[in-house]
Amino acid sequence: MPSIIQISNLTKKFGNIVAVDHLDLEVEDGEILGLLGPNGAGKTTTILMLATVIRPTEGTATVGGFDIRKNPEKVRELFGIVFQEPKMLWVSTPWDIVNWHAKVCGLSTEERKRRVKEVLESLDMWEHRRKNVHALSGGMRKRVELAKVLVQRPKIAIVDEPTAQIDVVGKHRVWNMLRRLRDEGSTLILATNELYEADELSDRVAIMHRGKLLVCDTPKTLKDSIVGGDIVEIQLENDASAKIVEELKNFKEVVNILQVKPCILRLYLNKVEEVVPKIMNTLVKKNVPVTSIHMSEPSLDDVFAHYTGLTIEEAQKSGE
Amino acid sequence: MVVERDIRLFFQYKFLIILRAIWFVSQIVLFGLIASRMINVREVPDYFRYYVSGLSIMTLYSAAIFIGFDIYEEAEHGVFEYLLSLPVSRRQLVLGRSIGGGLRSFIYVGPLIAASLFVIGAVNPLNFLVALFALFLFSFGVSGMSITIAVMIKSSDRFDILMGVLDALIVRLSTAMYPLAVVQAANPLYGGVANFNPVSYAADLFRWGTGIESTYFTLANPLLPLLGIIAFFAIFTFVGVTIYDRRIEGGGWQ
Repeated sequence: MPSIIQISNLTKKFGNIVAVDHLDLEVEDGEILGLLGPNGAGKTTTILMLATVIRPTEGTATVGGFDIRKNPEKVRELFGIVFQEPKMLWVSTPWDIVNWHAKVCGLSTEERKRRVKEVLESLDMWEHRRKNVHALSGGMRKRVELAKVLVQRPKIAIVDEPTAQIDVVGKHRVWNMLRRLRDEGSTLILATNELYEADELSDRVAIMHRGKLLVCDTPKTLKDSIVGGDIVEIQLENDASAKIVEELKNFKEVVNILQVKPCILRLYLNKVEEVVPKIMNTLVKKNVPVTSIHMSEPSLDDVFAHYTGLTIEEAQKSGE
Repeated sequence: MVVERDIRLFFQYKFLIILRAIWFVSQIVLFGLIASRMINVREVPDYFRYYVSGLSIMTLYSAAIFIGFDIYEEAEHGVFEYLLSLPVSRRQLVLGRSIGGGLRSFIYVGPLIAASLFVIGAVNPLNFLVALFALFLFSFGVSGMSITIAVMIKSSDRFDILMGVLDALIVRLSTAMYPLAVVQAANPLYGGVANFNPVSYAADLFRWGTGIESTYFTLANPLLPLLGIIAFFAIFTFVGVTIYDRRIEGGGWQ
């Protein structure tokens, strides 16, 4: 597929802080690209630069053939954004917000009325359309934010944490709506720190950490790329000592060990059937009681851990 | 559409609008009626009518200033980022906001002006239309001034205090509340400032339009305050818009 966005060397500095660090990335026309990373990874700053809301310090990007620095107005015509925090004044009503957005985006009166009703109904917001925003819950506000883009149906939709504060049932409904938006011809950039969401929705995932792009590929390729494709999580009764971690690293089948919690070790290894009994024997010999053992397939969290040495939760904490 | 949004938004603040209207009416029926009994000199035979016309201009000024506070509110709620992401040119956005700010204050003050006209009585239709046009430009100019100052000062507290100081200086040193000759007599410097003050221009033209002049404050040439208001409007609408435009594009709003 041809690329609709080409980002080259894009950098944003706020004083001494480098929020986005020489980012190179291409977004293909008609795909859902998951931009995955912990808070502070540079996802939102990248989005704001692409949408021409803030200027890059260095580098540029072309969107639909238009340079974000030279043709910002043309670029904005292609975008629709669902912001991480709903952007609305508290005296406004959902109907006012979505209807005005549709009007600014050039929808005819008939089309606007039809689509606003349709989208607000599908998001269970129709009966709340005349309430002031301050009377709505966080999840409802997020749905209003989302409604703007669903009504607009832009060429490129940027959705930043689209299901934050939305309940589980609502999440699945939103995911289906985003998939439908893609199927109707929009390209989606999905910025999220929810691994399952990225895995579920994205055609490709770009992982960002500390402003840099670490890797970008399909979720399957990324997961398959982890050396030591089997994962065993061992929960110990007590905290794992450095000595026992070293002991386990000595097994040639063990590729990497991540101490997820003081008493939980995640082992990335090969030949799981052969090595697990050996590991258990060692732990018994060393008098290290085991509470549970769990085997799984690699997830995007494992991919993130593989590239950063941190789980996304740890990265989140270190970024805060 | 930007203009429409600002107007709709303003009228969402029903509580504020009602309180403002109550303030306006009580200023007339309490302060105006009582204070005018103290001022009964030969030069100002009917201070009540003078006061009511000046109060209309002051109310228009304070309603037009309100757009600056909206900018802080929007920055606080992140709405500014949303507005900047829309498929609208920066110039359209800023000009729309300036016009919207002026227009909504005019719509809001319109009924109050009508009420004050009822109190004042006399109307010369042609003069009044000219005065109305001038008040229109005046409200756009004040809106533009408010937007320009709001984007230059990042703290809403500072903006609030500065607006209070400006209100004290611009409105008090104008002919809204007292004739120029009286200001001049109090202090020639005050008179000088009042003579080159957009609030004075608006108040003088409004009185000229409503025909409540007396020999003591007759407007010799209505063209001069009209040109003054046009200049005020031009400076703060177009120059202000340019400053705003540059600050937005440079990321100065952050």
